[in-house]
Amino acid sequence: MKEKSVLKKITGSREALLAVILILLFAIVTVISPSFLTPKSIMDMLKNNAVTMVMSLGMLCVMLVGGIDISIMSTLALSGMAIGMLLKYNHISNTFVAFVIALAIGAACGLVVGLVISRADVPPIIATMGFMYVYRAMGYLISNGGEWASAAALGSFKDFATTKILGMSCVIWVIIICYVLFFFFMKWTRTGRKIYAVGSNANAAEVSGINVKNIKLMVYVIMGILSGLGGALQVSVYASAMPDMQQGGEMDVIAACVIGGVSMSGGRGTVLGALLGSLILATIAKALPLVGFDALWQNTIKGVLILVVVVANVVLQRVADRSALKGREM
Amino acid sequence: MAGKSGRSINNVPESPIKRTIFSWEGILVIVFILVNLFCAWFSEFYNLKNLLRQMPVYLAEVFLMLPMAYILVLGEIDISVGSIVCLSATMSCIVCNTGAPFIVVVLTALVVGTLCGAVNAFILTRFEELPPMIVTLATQIIFRGIAEIVLGSGGSISATNTDGFRMIGGKVGSVPYILFLVLILAVIFAVILGKSTFGRRVYAIGTNRLTAYYSGIHVQKIRFIIYTVMGTVSGLCALFLVSSSYGANTTTGNGFEMDAIAMAVFGGISSTGGKGNLAGGVISAFIIVCLRVGLGQRNVHAQVILLIVGLLLIGAVALPNIIGQVKRAIKK
Repeated sequence: MKEKSVLKKITGSREALLAVILILLFAIVTVISPSFLTPKSIMDMLKNNAVTMVMSLGMLCVMLVGGIDISIMSTLALSGMAIGMLLKYNHISNTFVAFVIALAIGAACGLVVGLVISRADVPPIIATMGFMYVYRAMGYLISNGGEWASAAALGSFKDFATTKILGMSCVIWVIIICYVLFFFFMKWTRTGRKIYAVGSNANAAEVSGINVKNIKLMVYVIMGILSGLGGALQVSVYASAMPDMQQGGEMDVIAACVIGGVSMSGGRGTVLGALLGSLILATIAKALPLVGFDALWQNTIKGVLILVVVVANVVLQRVADRSALKGREM
Repeated sequence: MAGKSGRSINNVPESPIKRTIFSWEGILVIVFILVNLFCAWFSEFYNLKNLLRQMPVYLAEVFLMLPMAYILVLGEIDISVGSIVCLSATMSCIVCNTGAPFIVVVLTALVVGTLCGAVNAFILTRFEELPPMIVTLATQIIFRGIAEIVLGSGGSISATNTDGFRMIGGKVGSVPYILFLVLILAVIFAVILGKSTFGRRVYAIGTNRLTAYYSGIHVQKIRFIIYTVMGTVSGLCALFLVSSSYGANTTTGNGFEMDAIAMAVFGGISSTGGKGNLAGGVISAFIIVCLRVGLGQRNVHAQVILLIVGLLLIGAVALPNIIGQVKRAIKK
């Protein structure tokens, strides 16, 4: 076997390609607007995109088994609103307890979604679409019909986002911990590999003794827990809880995963890819106003970007297939 | 895939009456009656006259269900329709405000819708490996993004010359035009899907795209037509939406794709393709419309209605599966 050249390794690996794109993006934006590449600006960017970044890990798992979850932002609103109301009416005051409650609500929501999908065989898009309505409405109901929990009502909870440990906001530490945990979980644990196995070929996985239904249930519970975490982060970063927060945000999470190379049909995608995908998305959102684009253009550019990425993917795949065929000819 | 068509050899025909009542459409008719009885009990204002008066706002979404049913039968999904509605509504308002004759406004809405649909169709047929979910996700963001750019920082526009819109929002006696149009279109779409060659081909593609391709069906041509028509109908929906609100903003049509899919799926059209018919879809659409009117009359919040729709949607798909599983478990 011939050793692969470095160039080929870079163009061959999705993550390396994404990293190059990200670095180029950073370079371009920094040249145009030097204020971009300062620690403070980067930290702000990470903090503001914490929710998308953390939740794209869950979406990675869900998409790896060939599913999709569009109910996540409703779960986020429900759990965020729940702790918002509990804090507002002084039922709890401890930040840690608030986080645990948010995670628990998220896990419960994810469990219900997972049961419906894995046990009742409802297609993921339909089931999560239904739960998107249901959880959003529940979030609205527990808010007494649209009440907000404002910054004043949140007490010491909102300090979580402003507290710094070792010079970095707690929120950023949460992101780092989540990514490190998932990196190990997906790469080196048996359960993590099982997720990949189910996504690549569910029948083969079933035959080789993996309980496919339980794995499917598990990924939706993971997604739910991360949505709960996202809810707590959202409330603390923006120092307010309202029932319609992050409406439509699930598309950002899915977009981050798709840009990061996670396949919609399952089995393909990495934690690193999800990280790079969400970073690219975050950088573009942050850079557009700096470069002088009106904020109004943001969504269109985001959409075009997703489209370009998926189409480029297909074109590259076709080229690769064709050259593989050529290689076989005499 | 084989069991999906419901036509296996050992399928013993049941008595026609039993089959009609126990079919999904039969159940839906019963649900429809129950919903109407419930609404009549729940709200003292619920009668035919009020129903006809309040219906048009919700009926615009029923348009979307018709082509969406085709897309679902194909085994695909289009989540960009809400954004197409938004863009068409915006454009038609702008054209209307330039003082153009109303026919031009109508054409604008339809052409913008068709173009958006054709963009989806072009990408999906040119790069057929792409999952429709992700392509329409991207175009959903793009179409609404364009509407946001066009609308500018204000984010909304109102039609200054409302005569034309008032006209299409009119009535024959007490029956609004839109109800006629919905019913006529429903019949046309249902007949094409159920009785024509084109419709049978759609089912064939939904059951097994590869087999359909090898048996000589122009799969990509049919997909192109369906996605384009989806766009045209979204333009029509936008027109009637503007005729009830006389304006558009960046949130116009938000979530319409979900409502359209919910109506179709609740009507028994499988999202995995190849199954279901439009009769069920139309009945379920009217169930949801009646529910909205009835609950809306007693000021039940829109979110609660969405909660009910969500539960109906999940239940409609989950229940038959669970019943099937229980039956199989008993047989064992």
